[in-house]
Amino acid sequence: MSKTTQAPKALRGVGNYIDDRFHLAKTGEKNLRKVFPNHWSFMLGEIALYSFIILLLSGVFLTLWFKPSMMEVVYDGSYERLQGVPMSEAFASTLHINFDVRGGLLMRQIHHWAALIFVASLVVHMLRVFFTGAFRKPREINWLIGIAIFTLAMVEGLFGYSLPDDLPSGMGVRILQGVMLALPLVGSYISMFLFGGEFPGEDIITRLYMLHILLIPALLLALIVAHFMILWHQKHTQYPGQQRTDKTVVGTPMFPAFAVKAGGFFFFTFAVTAGLSAFVQINPIHLFGPFTPTSITSGLQPDWYMGFMEGSLRIFPNTLDFTIPIGDGYPIVTAVLVPGLVIPGLIFGALALWPFIEQWITGDKRARNVADRPRNAPTRTALGVAGITFYGVLWLAGSNDVLSETFSIDLYLTTYIFRVLAIAGPIVGYIITKRICLGLQRRDRETLEHGYESGIIQQLPSGEFIEVHKESSAESTHVLKEKPALTSTALEEPETDDKGVENPDARKGMGKLRRSLAHWYTKDDVSFEGVEPFRGHHTQDEGH
Amino acid sequence: MKWITARRRHPLAGYVVVILALALFGVGFAALAPTSDEARAQTLSAEAPSPEDVDAANGKTIFDQTCASCHNYDGSGTYDEDGNVTNGPDIREVGSASVNFQVSTGRMPSMDPENQMPRRDMVMSEQDLADLIAYYDESIRIDGAGADIPYDVPGTAPQASDFEDEDAYQAAVEEYEAEYDAYIEGADDVDMGMKLYLTNCAHCHSWSGGGGALTDGRWAPQIHESTPREIYEAMVSGPGAMPMFSDGVISPEEKQELISYVKTLQAEPDAGGIFALERVGQVAEGFIGWTIGLSLIIACAIWITAKQRAHD
Amino acid sequence: MTEKNTNDKNEAGADDERVVGTPTDTTEVVSEKTSAHSESEHDGPYLASETHHRPEEQQRRGEKLAALWFIIALLGGIGFLVSYFLFPPNAAGEPSIADPQIGQFSNMLLGGTLTLAMFGIGAGMTVWARNVMPHYEVASPYDELPSSEEEKSSFSEFFMKSADESGFTKRPLMRRTLIAAMLPLGLAPVVLLRDTGPLPGDQLKETRWVDGMRMYVEGTHRYLRAEDLENDPYGMISALPALDDEGYPHGISLVDQAKSVILLIKVPEEDWKPGMDEPVREGSDETHMNWTHQGIVAYSKICTHVGCPAALYERTTHRILCPCHQSTFDATDAAKVVFGPAHRALPQLPIGVDDEGYLVARGDFNEPTGPTFWEYRG
Repeated sequence: MSKTTQAPKALRGVGNYIDDRFHLAKTGEKNLRKVFPNHWSFMLGEIALYSFIILLLSGVFLTLWFKPSMMEVVYDGSYERLQGVPMSEAFASTLHINFDVRGGLLMRQIHHWAALIFVASLVVHMLRVFFTGAFRKPREINWLIGIAIFTLAMVEGLFGYSLPDDLPSGMGVRILQGVMLALPLVGSYISMFLFGGEFPGEDIITRLYMLHILLIPALLLALIVAHFMILWHQKHTQYPGQQRTDKTVVGTPMFPAFAVKAGGFFFFTFAVTAGLSAFVQINPIHLFGPFTPTSITSGLQPDWYMGFMEGSLRIFPNTLDFTIPIGDGYPIVTAVLVPGLVIPGLIFGALALWPFIEQWITGDKRARNVADRPRNAPTRTALGVAGITFYGVLWLAGSNDVLSETFSIDLYLTTYIFRVLAIAGPIVGYIITKRICLGLQRRDRETLEHGYESGIIQQLPSGEFIEVHKESSAESTHVLKEKPALTSTALEEPETDDKGVENPDARKGMGKLRRSLAHWYTKDDVSFEGVEPFRGHHTQDEGH
Repeated sequence: MKWITARRRHPLAGYVVVILALALFGVGFAALAPTSDEARAQTLSAEAPSPEDVDAANGKTIFDQTCASCHNYDGSGTYDEDGNVTNGPDIREVGSASVNFQVSTGRMPSMDPENQMPRRDMVMSEQDLADLIAYYDESIRIDGAGADIPYDVPGTAPQASDFEDEDAYQAAVEEYEAEYDAYIEGADDVDMGMKLYLTNCAHCHSWSGGGGALTDGRWAPQIHESTPREIYEAMVSGPGAMPMFSDGVISPEEKQELISYVKTLQAEPDAGGIFALERVGQVAEGFIGWTIGLSLIIACAIWITAKQRAHD
Repeated sequence: MTEKNTNDKNEAGADDERVVGTPTDTTEVVSEKTSAHSESEHDGPYLASETHHRPEEQQRRGEKLAALWFIIALLGGIGFLVSYFLFPPNAAGEPSIADPQIGQFSNMLLGGTLTLAMFGIGAGMTVWARNVMPHYEVASPYDELPSSEEEKSSFSEFFMKSADESGFTKRPLMRRTLIAAMLPLGLAPVVLLRDTGPLPGDQLKETRWVDGMRMYVEGTHRYLRAEDLENDPYGMISALPALDDEGYPHGISLVDQAKSVILLIKVPEEDWKPGMDEPVREGSDETHMNWTHQGIVAYSKICTHVGCPAALYERTTHRILCPCHQSTFDATDAAKVVFGPAHRALPQLPIGVDDEGYLVARGDFNEPTGPTFWEYRG
């Protein structure tokens, strides 16, 4: 073991050079000593970060050859099967990347797989943050930035999917335009302006390209940097445990250990993406053929992250459509507007507002650095599962034709099933999850009180059989004992004061609403108050 | 209940619950799915006609035994009192292409007239089919209505079992392959073939020929194993819910372009990797992205952060 | 892989006394042997109690294993460079990556070696961090987020004094004119977008179909005659207007294709439904039936929902289904919506034949084609 304390001369030179100009020694050491909690679920966000880097790298490579032009050309490139076919320059240049640029096809597949994994990792990262309550004060703003990143990532993906101008991608643009046209009053104007005329026009690919490689990535990058800086400043949350409090974080320091781990993880992420791209074909645009507005294929789907919108477009009925009877009549096409705008608005709006709603209900204004165990916030967890169910049903509904064909179920029947599930599923999910959470809470209390069931059966002198309970480890006992009680300041204020006068806050509409929400949010919580942690064996007379 | 209580803590209890849940799901699915006889898809079909070799009398025997119970002895179909088709429709005007298609792809004779028939092995020999078609043309078909069998379009490859010796079989295969290649390569306008296929076929059979869902639990079959002749016959006769594309609408040369397009596409190796996900597309890609991609990366994260000993 | 085994063993040990669902035990409980070792000669950057050294034996094994991974990565990297030059592009001759089979080999080899290189580095680094480096369990305080009261009041005093001094609050004329000056500039970006496209006008409501225009099957350039459909009692075909615009490979722009493509369907006489006898639009003398010709009916192929081609036609049920969102229209009943999300029926094109027997349009559609939009009725 070497005992170097003095840095080698070359390193010192560089260090001094930098420090002379930036005064970084103190800040530098503080940041290198930053502590990261050691748990895999804290690395989900990193997957997103690394996928984003992979996307930037592979994306830059692709721009070297891609031509974002809708000029119609007759293909005479190297790919024999499509020679002589009229297509846009965008499609022809994508064929060029596939079949004339070595590694081009690999890069295209890496770009596409990385995109799928990028958005997927955003989702699981967000779910981790939601279910552990890591969005609570002081991290609400970072949560909002996260939602913005997620939304932009979806749009970014949709536009990127549209660029090669192949058969399914053109249909994606068509559906986007169809949704736009349904907007009351301004629909046809927005569509005409975006497309530079009627669909498909000759500008849309050029414009989407600009959005895809310049504007949205710049915004994404800015938001990701902001997200990361805020995280760095506020530090990670951590799971409950001994020594882990709202004031102290326990984990691996940035330098040297975490830097190596995180670096290794970047390579793992890249390796998995590259491995998929090497062996699993994705988006074979040369097989699809170029886009024409008159062609269509069965089993047409967007990439998975747009699946929930596709699903809601499929299952929302037209029965709520109506026409405003003025003049010739103006349609309100709810079957397009609700799935296209209202449902995503609801999902993202609810996500964005939840931290503030929860804070309003509980009145909890403290900074929270210790994560909740999901079971200890049963209402939030149940709401989250209800949300996942809703999203999941819509997502599945987006592939109802593939499901119908694969499992030979009547196509219309799948639509009806999904319509019912979209409403019933979240309710059932909510109820079941809440029951499970409460059950787990009760079991936690039992374990705390009586120790854990060791599986050892003993026969007592009286002939009675008992299962021996053992004392949990100090760590587990600590985690169980420290379960925060669910409370709300709204319930702490008495409804009437000691003279019988009603509390003015509780009488007003909002106050009333808040009290009842607080009651709903906290009512079932299992109290651990007065529970003495189990120490050693129970004997028979202690009552079993 | 005691029985369950006693065992619910068993280490395997969780797995049992999962298996039971899956079984329940399976039963539920079986209740929803329309029943149909699935069968292996592999077929034999008619060889070129040779009038002296066919035996219409044998064809009549076959027709009366296997077809007439549903289509009636004169091919006029069977009906209830209200005049609705009960088992089999009138086939006097469908043409021999239709008969050849239905029988050679094993869809006829049908076990279950209520439901769509999947592709199966043909139930009779090539010779029997030729006899049946001779009888159909002679005695059932009215005034040569419907489309004829397109004998100049390559049908099924020769089967070893039909040949006495290996040399004859090899020769037949070579001849067939030459004929097949000539037909496929005889098409030279990819644009025409592609447009015809994508605007008239792909909305049911998918861009890849992988098939797709129709209404009422029916489906458009995948056409990977279909021979050029079967595709041709399907187009002119419109089996099941499929509309017809007669030679007037799409001429034989245009059909050749169309068939060549889809067959060439299907034969092309997948440049993107050996796992092409059945060319299902985005649904399969999303599934793999989550189940393999993200899971593997998370597995790596678990490795990186896994605890190594008690003090960790 | 020895790594993995040690993991499992130790994890199982730790698991015994852990509540399911809690994170595994962390913190303290330094195993006696290593702690004695580290405390006596500790000179690391973090407290001895926070630094758990690996035994020398494990470190040595770790080093070897990490080096092995790095060598695999090196080989992978070299393999990547070699595979790049193994398969030349088309210009350089055979074997070329433009052949899908060779392209597949090239893709798998390039990707496979890249995967190996990346995974090797990742795995090597992980082994390094887990077996060579000590395990750190460092405690560090969260920063106190709100500033102290003094800091806050000092800041606020400074800010308000400065603001007052600047005159921004005290001199409303200057302030208001400055804000006013910003307004037009704020609008400028919006105004500048005006030329991104023309105003809709009536463009969306009209197509190029006119009385007497012939039609052809898309992909061919053969004009269709009515008798071409004679042998299709249940026929269907996708067709385009016989435009001949310059500058387009098929004489028709994608915009015109998207608006005017039609589905021709032949319906047996007894299958028509009463909806066909209704007028094609309010107050019109023409019925849907008048607009057919010898059992042939022409509907717009573009779905009125969000614009996919609604092309899936079942001849037995006469349903026209859009494969995107499954809007279903009844071809024998004026293409009314019978299922799914579409707002209105598919527009119908009046057809007939000209002197030479060719199928022709007899005018434009009865309604705008494509997705339903706000002013489509006007």
